[in-house]
Amino acid sequence: MQTDKLTFRTENLDGTTVVHIAGELDLEVASQMRATMEPLMELGDRKLVLNLRDLKYIDSTGIGILIGILKARHAKQAPFAVEEVPATIRKLFDMTGITPFLTAAESYSNGSPK
Amino acid sequence: MKNDANVKLSVPARPEFVDLVRLTLYGIAAKMNFSYEEIEDMKVAVSEACNNAVLHAYGGEENGGSVDVRFDILGEDELRITVSDSGESFVPSGDLQSSNLLGKSIEEIQSGGLGLYLMQALMDSVEVRTQQGTAVVMSKRREAAGKASV
Repeated sequence: MQTDKLTFRTENLDGTTVVHIAGELDLEVASQMRATMEPLMELGDRKLVLNLRDLKYIDSTGIGILIGILKARHAKQAPFAVEEVPATIRKLFDMTGITPFLTAAESYSNGSPK
Repeated sequence: MKNDANVKLSVPARPEFVDLVRLTLYGIAAKMNFSYEEIEDMKVAVSEACNNAVLHAYGGEENGGSVDVRFDILGEDELRITVSDSGESFVPSGDLQSSNLLGKSIEEIQSGGLGLYLMQALMDSVEVRTQQGTAVVMSKRREAAGKASV
């Protein structure tokens, strides 16, 4: 079954790749998310930002993917951040305890606070 | 909805059917006047239970089996959701409280157990029964009307 439940728009700014993720990030689209993110995670000299403004839903599978990105970026000492996290998703981030890692990740960025 | 009632849904144990369970839950919970925030909480919890059935019950085989979801409307305020499968039992391991990421280093964190942890955190009660498959029984009571939700 093919759906458009999760869509990506990548924006290349000066030194930063911003990925706008819209829709529902769940088990069904987890492999699509991983496939999209993997090449971007490799770019250690660019800052990677996920803009979650239009993300409507995330489950533990999606949070697991974020953990994977965090670890990969940490291993490379490469900057990674999330921005514009909707309240319902922020609540899940807080509950699972991923929030401090996402916040700490932002500190890798030198300048241009979002 | 004054009288107890139930709604049953059976879907193939495949990832692309989990959102159908979410949609059904939304319809029922909205009918019961649960708040937006409460509905969002239940959506995540019920999806996590379905995810576990999809991933673990039938050895990951396509066309393996089905996930049965039963929504029990209890009185005016309580919704009990039972997610069951007839596959291999999924026995949660370890202490659920330690499944979250709090107080851990980035090297230590991992996603295992987060689904069950979220279910516990988002519902009033969660019970996992394992006999002839797995059944997750969870319930949530509607907050008193008038309490403003954020």
